[in-house]
Amino acid sequence: MTEAPLLQLREINKHFPGVHALKDVHFDVRRGEVHALIGENGAGKSTMIKIVSGVYQPETGEIQLEGQRVHFANPREAQRAGIATIYQELGLYPELSVAENIFMGHAPTRKRGFFQTIDWERMEREAEALLAELNIFNLDVQAKVGTLNVGNRQRVEIAKALSLDARILIMDEPTAALTESDVEQLFSIVRLLRQRGVSIIYISHRLNEVFELADRVTVLRDGEYIGANDVGDTSESQLISMMVGRTIENLFPKQAAKIGDVVLEVRNLNRPPLTRDISFSVRAGEIVGLAGLVGSGRSETAQVIFGVLPAESGTILLNGEAVEIHRPSEAVRHGIGYVPEDRGRQGLVREMTLRENTSMAVLESVSQNTFVNRAEERRLANHSIQQLSIRATGPEQIVNKLSGGNQQKVVVSKWLASEPKLLIMDEPTRGVDVGAKSEIHRLMSQLAAEEGLAILMISSELPEILGMSDRILVMREGHLVGEFSRAEATQELIAHAMMSEEARRATGASA
Amino acid sequence: MQERMPNPRNQTVGEKLRHLLISQEGVLFVIMLVSVLFLATRTDKFLTVDNLLQQGRFMTEVGLIAIPMTYIIITGGIDLSVGSILGLTAIVLGWTWQELGFPLELAIITGILSGTVAGFVNGLFIVRVGVPPLIMTLATLALYRGLAEGISEARSARGYPEWFFQLGQGEFLGIPTQLWLLIIAVVIFGIVLARTRLGRALYAIGNNETGARFSGLTVNRYLLFIYTFSGFMSGVAGYIFVSRVSTTRSDMGTGIELDVIAAVVLGGTSIFGGTGSIPGTIVGVVLIQLLKNGLTLSGVTSDATIVVIGSVLIFAILVNNFIQSRRREN
Repeated sequence: MTEAPLLQLREINKHFPGVHALKDVHFDVRRGEVHALIGENGAGKSTMIKIVSGVYQPETGEIQLEGQRVHFANPREAQRAGIATIYQELGLYPELSVAENIFMGHAPTRKRGFFQTIDWERMEREAEALLAELNIFNLDVQAKVGTLNVGNRQRVEIAKALSLDARILIMDEPTAALTESDVEQLFSIVRLLRQRGVSIIYISHRLNEVFELADRVTVLRDGEYIGANDVGDTSESQLISMMVGRTIENLFPKQAAKIGDVVLEVRNLNRPPLTRDISFSVRAGEIVGLAGLVGSGRSETAQVIFGVLPAESGTILLNGEAVEIHRPSEAVRHGIGYVPEDRGRQGLVREMTLRENTSMAVLESVSQNTFVNRAEERRLANHSIQQLSIRATGPEQIVNKLSGGNQQKVVVSKWLASEPKLLIMDEPTRGVDVGAKSEIHRLMSQLAAEEGLAILMISSELPEILGMSDRILVMREGHLVGEFSRAEATQELIAHAMMSEEARRATGASA
Repeated sequence: MQERMPNPRNQTVGEKLRHLLISQEGVLFVIMLVSVLFLATRTDKFLTVDNLLQQGRFMTEVGLIAIPMTYIIITGGIDLSVGSILGLTAIVLGWTWQELGFPLELAIITGILSGTVAGFVNGLFIVRVGVPPLIMTLATLALYRGLAEGISEARSARGYPEWFFQLGQGEFLGIPTQLWLLIIAVVIFGIVLARTRLGRALYAIGNNETGARFSGLTVNRYLLFIYTFSGFMSGVAGYIFVSRVSTTRSDMGTGIELDVIAAVVLGGTSIFGGTGSIPGTIVGVVLIQLLKNGLTLSGVTSDATIVVIGSVLIFAILVNNFIQSRRREN
């Protein structure tokens, strides 16, 4: 072993309601290294950095800084110990200047008679010096942060962390929103910091960045520590199999379905940046899985088809007929249902009753001469309660009072009531318990097999994608980069297509 | 609205009555009764048929505008321009009749139509351009009033023929004519809100506009409609106003938006959207009108009257919040 690690985490455990988020996790960071932290969505990366930065406290296990056991009760204490975090959603004040943001909370002051006032000149001078240390000379420290682009805002955040004498800098998906030239500049800043002895914890989904930048890499999966490697001793395919190497349980009771005619076909669908030249089709009775990382454009493409984000160009065909969809009401009229990703905000009106929610997409057909027929609504709600075994006191229960899984069932039943030809399901089982999950899967499978419903399912869980889909599409950075049949698909193949730069080039070349 | 509807079947009359009493509208109704009884002991001029009918005449304009305002506030919006639209309608009516020589019937229609268009313009900017309702209608509050003043050039129109005053000053079956109009409007639009697709959509929009949109509801169309409707009803109120006071002036309806909003909120409509009802709004309108009148008749100065009304407003809202939160816990 070389020198003792700067930061060490041992046997960390953390629970959230219903989830064991971290199970005996280890992690260590050496002085002056870039340490990549990778894993699928929900692997526990975010939970772990929140423990390191003092947002969460571990239930068991210990954190050592330079060999001393430490305890961070809140982010401020971690900050004082020299740990700074740069989050995905940047934590800056857009209406304040660059210098003010950098020195927020610890501005240099001077005495003027009885008053402590901010020493503006010194603050701006020191801000410029900090930026210069990062080889940034073209940033006006008096400019309002709101007027800067994402790359420059990130640089301000890094300078802010340095102004606090950070020894460990945590970067959570720092390149997610950056342009290519900004990415390069970020990399040179990271390398500069490494030279100066700052340790960097670098979280990314992009494996090529890991290989370009990191010295070591730690892999998490389902809240467990899988291993840590020197980047020089590992390969992309090894990392991928460490990330996904999971056995597929028999959770998904997929029935064989008779695949019928094409229901939905999209051709060259465009709405940049996250939907670029997308073409695919879904047949009756078929479940098509749409895989990809968060931010790869899956939900956006679904929302293009559903009319929330109408297409800029391209064709949508339903049952072979070209249709124009500019808003959700038109999609509904054409027989498309959409179970959205965010059920609280998009899927339900939670302050209203189960009855009012289940009829919301079919208000027209449960009304006579514009009067809503409550008896008909009640019948519909009772039918939904039975069909999906929703645990509720009855049609008049406020949806907010139901559990997450039962709320999701209400969303699904709302769209089934509209008798769609195509049902788009965006993360249909996210945040629901195991029982509700398998009931939703059973229902999906049954609807496809017995009623010939065409289903487009977006999911971030590879086992769900592999278990439920007849065919699998993979998106990456707004492009469709792969298509696999149920027979040929494996976790490694799909994960590779989701994450690897080469996969896109390969299919790009063949298309 | 949803919470107040536990299964209406299998309830005894007593239970139903109890439910009605502790509902938002019920509580307000009790407060109104107590106020009326108290005011009746202060002066014998208050609780007379003549006086009460006269108050009905005075509150019709506020009442008519409060109907669309209830719709709008339920969706989480607001319309501050209603007073200015009322003034604009009145001016257009008088100006097209006196200056342009329109037949009076046509002038009335033109006036109400211009109010409707004013409301439509509000809706169009709110829906299409995405201007927040508060900002948009604050701007048109000034704009429409300015327009009215520009058209009228500070002159007032008077000398209307006798038949014109029937609506504002006449009676039908012993009851002020405009009060009939208010009663009919309250019944129709109360049912529309409680029972039709439009009503359901408004509650859904107010509780979660994104969710409503993702359910395929034509949110923009509903919003455009209610702001246009608000313009129309303010226009009708403008016509009634002119007919009641026999003259047209450009400052008519100044500040009426605050009376209307106060009545709607007093009536249990949440300013954040999602809940509210027409019966509640109407009790709010009546309560405010009776307090104003009763206190004045009791010899309270007008400054003190405003103070008392403000206090009753706060008291009523506190009592209601207390009872409603107790009810939710049970």
